[in-house]
Amino acid sequence: MIKYIVVALLVGGVAGYLNSNYGSITAGNFVSDYLFNASLLLLLFIMGVAFGMDKESIAKMKRVGFRILLFPFAVALGSILGGVVSGIILGINITASMAVGAGYGWYTLAGPLTNQLFGAEWGALGFTVNFLRELFTIMTISLIVRVDKYAPIALGGATTMDTTLPIIVRYCGSDTLITAFSSGFVLSIIAPFTITAIAALPH
Amino acid sequence: MFDSTIYLLSLVIALVAGLCSGYFLRNRKRVNFGKFTFGVILILIFSLGFSIGSNNALLNSLPHIGLNATVILLFVLAFSVLLVKVVKKMVKIE
Repeated sequence: MIKYIVVALLVGGVAGYLNSNYGSITAGNFVSDYLFNASLLLLLFIMGVAFGMDKESIAKMKRVGFRILLFPFAVALGSILGGVVSGIILGINITASMAVGAGYGWYTLAGPLTNQLFGAEWGALGFTVNFLRELFTIMTISLIVRVDKYAPIALGGATTMDTTLPIIVRYCGSDTLITAFSSGFVLSIIAPFTITAIAALPH
Repeated sequence: MFDSTIYLLSLVIALVAGLCSGYFLRNRKRVNFGKFTFGVILILIFSLGFSIGSNNALLNSLPHIGLNATVILLFVLAFSVLLVKVVKKMVKIE
């Protein structure tokens, strides 16, 4: 199954590259905006229906309750801590590498925001690290799920409410839908605030 | 900021609409959406790849900052998984 996903990603990448250099802007916008959003909304709706019909998943959700909100905060803390440690090891600006980590995989936010707050070089890094986070989650999910059922949710960060959600539900089980979505949702909401707050630290 | 708020809201609305529909249909016969869902996943991943491939600025910056980016990424991921495991143990979620 992961084979088809990787192939779809690569074919899409090549098609997008060719289109942006030789093709039409209209076609590009159609795929990147319309097709992307339409398929995402449809998937969320279908996964919602499947979860709503599944009495076991609902019962499990009720047992866990508000404790699932601890996941996104663990992911946030882990991401920022990872930024600190890698900043120390690489000998680069630790505040900036913390901010890069605090993008939680949302590269279209982290890129421009770190660019604005720390300069162009960090903007590129903020974009790349968070973009690779999404890519890495998609590519390695079949292995990472063996480490821990919830490890893909930790890897996906903010992307677990959209791009990586359908794949996580496939590999980790349909009962992880709400955990993954709420984790991605909370991380998406706190990402702009944590990045800005980190930038306010002395650096 | 405004755009991303609308985006987040639209995702929540789609999911909640699905959850409510599913809940009201819960005593009906279960339909297997597996194949259809997977088809839509492939469309989603294709269009994700497409917008990455269209982003020339990103593709050009990858080679220079690859090493720093990889090191930061690995630590970010390792600590995220570690802390999630710790929290899971602490609050006993299966």
